[in-house]
Amino acid sequence: MAQRAVWLISREPGTPFCSTVRFSRRYPTVEKRAKVFNGASYVPIPEDGPFLKALLFELRLLDDDEDFIESRDSCSHINKTSVYGLLIGGGELWPVVAFLKNNMIYACVPLVEQTLSPHPPLISISGISQGFELLFGVQDFLSLSQKNDTELNTKLNQLPDLLLQACPFGTLLDANLQNSLDSINFASVTHSQKQPAWKVGTYKGKPQVSISITEKVKSMQYDKQDIADTWQVVGTVTCKCDLEGIMPNVTISLSLPTNGSPLQDILVHPCVTSLDSAILTSSSIDAMDDSAFSGPYKFPLTPPLESFNLCYYTSQVPVPPILGFYQMKEEEIQVKITVNLKLHESVKNNFEFCEAHIPFYNRGPITHVEYKVSFGQLEVFREKSSLVWIIGQKFPKSMEINLSGTVTFGAKSHEKQSFDEICIGGTAYLKLHFRILDYTLTGCYADQHSVQVFASGKPKISTHRKLISSDYYIWNSKAPAPVTYGSLLLSESLCLLSESGKVRNKITSRPMRPSGNSR
Amino acid sequence: MGPLSRETWAQRLAAFRASPSAFMAGPEGEDLGRDLLSELRSDKLSEQTKVSLLALSLEYPAQLWPDATAAEAAATSLLDTLVLLPPRPSALRRPLLLAATTALVAGDALGPTSEASRRLLPLLLGLASGRDLGRGFGPASEQRPLQATACECLRELESCKPGLLGGCLGLLRGLLGQEGPVQPLSLLLALALRNTLVIQARARARAGLQGLLMAGDTPSGGDPWNWALAEEGDARLQPQAPSWPAAEEECGLAVLEPTPEEARELRAAVAQLLDTSYLLTPVAQAQLLWLLGWALRGLRGQTPVLFKPQLVRLLGTAQLTLLHAVLALKAAFGEALFTAQDEALLLRRLTVAAQHPALPLPAHLFHLHCLLSFPENWPLGPTGEEAAPLLLGPRLCRGLLPSLLHDPMALLARLHLLCLLCAEDEEKEEKGQDWSPRHYLEELLAGLRQRAALDGGPRASATLCFQASYLVVQCLATQPTVLTPLTHGLARLYRARPVLAPHFVDLLDRVGPELGEPLRVALRQEVVSRPGRDEALRWHLQILAEVADGNAQSATLGFLGAAAAHCTDWGLQQALLRVCRALLRAGVGGGLADLLQALARQWEDPDGRDHARLYYILLAHLAGPKLGVALGPSPAAPALASSLVAENQGFAAVLMVQEAPAPIRLSVGPHRAAGPGPVLQLHVEVLEPAYSLELRFRVEGQVYAPLGAVHVPCLCPGRPCRPLLLPLQPRRPAPTRLDVRALYTTPTGLTCHAHLPPLPVNFADLFLPFPQAPEGDKLGFFEELWDSCLPKGAESRLWCPLGPQGLEALVSRHLEPFVVVAQPPTSYHIAIRLPPDSRLLLRLEAAQEDGVPVALRTDDWAVLPLAGDYLRGLSAAV
Repeated sequence: MAQRAVWLISREPGTPFCSTVRFSRRYPTVEKRAKVFNGASYVPIPEDGPFLKALLFELRLLDDDEDFIESRDSCSHINKTSVYGLLIGGGELWPVVAFLKNNMIYACVPLVEQTLSPHPPLISISGISQGFELLFGVQDFLSLSQKNDTELNTKLNQLPDLLLQACPFGTLLDANLQNSLDSINFASVTHSQKQPAWKVGTYKGKPQVSISITEKVKSMQYDKQDIADTWQVVGTVTCKCDLEGIMPNVTISLSLPTNGSPLQDILVHPCVTSLDSAILTSSSIDAMDDSAFSGPYKFPLTPPLESFNLCYYTSQVPVPPILGFYQMKEEEIQVKITVNLKLHESVKNNFEFCEAHIPFYNRGPITHVEYKVSFGQLEVFREKSSLVWIIGQKFPKSMEINLSGTVTFGAKSHEKQSFDEICIGGTAYLKLHFRILDYTLTGCYADQHSVQVFASGKPKISTHRKLISSDYYIWNSKAPAPVTYGSLLLSESLCLLSESGKVRNKITSRPMRPSGNSR
Repeated sequence: MGPLSRETWAQRLAAFRASPSAFMAGPEGEDLGRDLLSELRSDKLSEQTKVSLLALSLEYPAQLWPDATAAEAAATSLLDTLVLLPPRPSALRRPLLLAATTALVAGDALGPTSEASRRLLPLLLGLASGRDLGRGFGPASEQRPLQATACECLRELESCKPGLLGGCLGLLRGLLGQEGPVQPLSLLLALALRNTLVIQARARARAGLQGLLMAGDTPSGGDPWNWALAEEGDARLQPQAPSWPAAEEECGLAVLEPTPEEARELRAAVAQLLDTSYLLTPVAQAQLLWLLGWALRGLRGQTPVLFKPQLVRLLGTAQLTLLHAVLALKAAFGEALFTAQDEALLLRRLTVAAQHPALPLPAHLFHLHCLLSFPENWPLGPTGEEAAPLLLGPRLCRGLLPSLLHDPMALLARLHLLCLLCAEDEEKEEKGQDWSPRHYLEELLAGLRQRAALDGGPRASATLCFQASYLVVQCLATQPTVLTPLTHGLARLYRARPVLAPHFVDLLDRVGPELGEPLRVALRQEVVSRPGRDEALRWHLQILAEVADGNAQSATLGFLGAAAAHCTDWGLQQALLRVCRALLRAGVGGGLADLLQALARQWEDPDGRDHARLYYILLAHLAGPKLGVALGPSPAAPALASSLVAENQGFAAVLMVQEAPAPIRLSVGPHRAAGPGPVLQLHVEVLEPAYSLELRFRVEGQVYAPLGAVHVPCLCPGRPCRPLLLPLQPRRPAPTRLDVRALYTTPTGLTCHAHLPPLPVNFADLFLPFPQAPEGDKLGFFEELWDSCLPKGAESRLWCPLGPQGLEALVSRHLEPFVVVAQPPTSYHIAIRLPPDSRLLLRLEAAQEDGVPVALRTDDWAVLPLAGDYLRGLSAAV
């Protein structure tokens, strides 16, 4: 379950291979064991330089895409997890857990306590999940309230000390590095025997509990008879419990109104001490029916000091908040577009903001736009070849708005316009960005009475809610569009990139199906 | 070197980290380890700098102190530094403990005879027990972190020397029950317990488990270190993790049967650990579960129900490690811990985790892997292969199916699942309800091909398309309904983007005939049906070289003929010639000869022209099988530098004659004194089959006329071959040696040349009898010959020693054919003809017991000494 080495590599243009090793840590005692366990299949941990090059090659981050290279491009070289084998010095270093996130490559090599040839299945290696958890922990630590490069550097400089605390011998003690940072600072606090390892100190001050529910809604809308639109709500409940005592017990309940959409696929924080089986089993895999468990969802827990994500859930709401269509037709150097958006009447018509972004890929810069909007304003980004329709804070009374226009493009210059693999020809989308405060699509809420605290003093309880759009796409109905399996279940005679898009008469006649994965 | 400043150290450390090997090879390398230790006691450096020095020693002890002696000295020095620290708070104590532990372990210095080990271990155990170790060990506020660190150090020592803490189980239990820090003590106890059980099971011996678990907080009998147990564990470090069934067999664990009292104690210890496990961080909880699962696995009578209360809590979380640990328990205990319903629930949670939008992609992919390697209670398929668990029906999978919008890895992982579903779905296929997975698969592949076909698109999307196709063929090779559209789709993809030819060649090389055969046909069709004059010509030729065979000859040749005119540069010509080679190997004849001739005339580049001509000559002169071998992959590749054959050394190897150690043994058989001239009778034996053997002889000294070669069509080991007759034509009657060379073809088609050991031709091998003397007057005939030798010849008398057999045996053995007059046992007259035209006459008369006087005459002076040697050697030859 130990790690042999850990690396952090930042992607920086202008450096060799556009990458720099920002942090690395080796664990020689673990390496000692690796040598014994792996026997003849043992490959030592390389120095940073060779490791970097081999990893970038495997991740396809070296800019040598021109030629077919068998060891990378062969059809049988299939990677289905973020675990790689790197060819280094004639041997294969495996398993290397690695992923790229926000221009930073996170990598580690877990110890495998047996021979490596043939590769044992990943599921049998305890160090794999530990390695992932370590890298996720580092990633969380680096991304937490990080705003600029200076802060990133400060955090990177803290990493050696933090790992000395959280992972002194390669066996991870705590993936929450912030916790380790606090424990360095909390060193003088006296501990009692039942102090949990995930809570380095105790809170002193006014008791207060804050709960915020953030729902993100995704959607893929096609406006086609034969492809169902999909949408899905993903909720995150974040808590901060400032309560005195070592192990205060708290129960937080989430409730739904009578017409609310049941919460499903609930994943909870490890501090939750017990879980109702109805919560455990409610899942988007099952068909929805009236018997679905609709709360209240009770979470008894002993909270950590810091802010934490109490739970995540998904939900299948009956209608998408905004239903629309987008029609785009190519006519030589210009395209004609028509957009229609309709806010569902049940949705709170009070946005923090609401915008529709209409990008045009694989084309030249916009040279001319003629348009008509029934509401809001249109902004034109000529060089980026995109339009932004700013809808504002409210939809009009009719709840329905339109945009129509003609966009003319100049000659394509390869440097500036980005290539897109999907939006070829007529395949195009518009993406909605909106945020509604104090509102959830499922109706899910936590009120003051829903929080029980078994500790001294009555805490102040504050709750927040918001709905955010995320990956909310409306595809051009006049051209093929990428779909998921879920969208196809309603029809039998489609193809993946549907050729036929029929104009519907009424918006509601479209086949619709909540859930599913979207972009 | 004097004390260094902070900046100097910072630079030095940075230089070291940039490339440790380069730094250690440099001038400063040697002193680094020593400097580092001495600087730790310097007053000039800040604690922060010292911590960074210690951090370096934690990472690179093997470079700083490369052998056990140096490591021992370093650990001693680090411990001294620790003891000498002033009793105020210091950031150095923890890293010093870690560094001393690391130095000992990494330097292989840990052991009962190591002084540093004997200092470090009691110190660590004392700290871990929370004992007061005096003012050297810092203020009270530092005790707690030091206690935890000491536990971690002990855990690392126990990991590297399993069994070391076997005697401390009771002590650790006691500490855990009191006020020790929960997490470090729990993990340490669990590891020590696991190691003890495993070593005992392996040694098939038990040293009072109960005693170990019960012992109070001071270990009885002095030294708590169990070096003996550690030695047993040391023989082979025990895997901590694989409680996986597959790994179990090789471990050869005996089942341990504890007594009821022991079982009770053990249960209590495990329950104690599990009850407080919620106080551990999630990753530590997972480690605890792996360890305890492994510890209890081999124990008979230990039901794993102890874990049950933890499971619901664990299944609800989003933590990768916790779900993974539950899967480990599932693999370890199967039905004993998970009923069928539990298994179904676990699968559902895993399915949710594999697609939950709140989790990151790497977690999705790992969960998906776990799903396909799910440890089922009653697995159906073969172990070790990825398969969809039985309970994972199409309904559960619906959200896990791939779409074009997924990241490549997610797409491939999900595609694999889809393929497995399609394989299962084969029978139900015809019902036509909803969207069949197969139909969806087809459309998905079409989408991938469409993306790969985009002009100027990244290579990654092409690679993805081919990986997906390969995966599908691997899983669904038996389903023509899948393969047919795939074949057509790929052919269309080639038409749209011939630049992907290397991917096609790679795919063809790796898939079986199910896809390979039809795809070859389709691609050949695709290439030859279009005029080959565009810029894609080199790709077309690359494809043709892969797919060209005996079929559709005329179309292929037509295409090549048309393309030849456009092959203006060397590369294209070579590409075209490669296709010709492929055709040659496939045995294409007539039309190809015309094409090659045309190429040899038409092209201007001499290399291309020569090649074409060479191929033409090969085609015209070599029989099919030989041609196949000549153009096939190289069996043995001697380095040859001819540019003509540089492209394939095997080709050269086949057409050139190979020098080889001879697998042939040649010997001279018994002398045949008959016929007009002397004839050598040769026996041939071979060690391996040889075909078309040709033996060539050269006479040393040219005493005979040149000899003709001897041919043998086929020789096999163990199959006797009729003697070969080699007629000799002496120019002088003299013995000599024959230099022998063999030329033959091996079963692999190589022509080999071997130099055999020289063959001796003896004087006696030349002997021939005179034509029959007239009956009745043999003596007269002999006397006539005798007299004719003089005066131009020579006469001699000599003593021929006789062996125990006497004269009669000697004559019958060696001279029988040449006897003219015999009066056994005392007198013989012998006449020998020596080609070309000499004679040797012997009178053997009045033999005595140990010899016979011989009178000899010859008409050739030169024969005399030879005859003398011959006669004197006769008795020895008997």
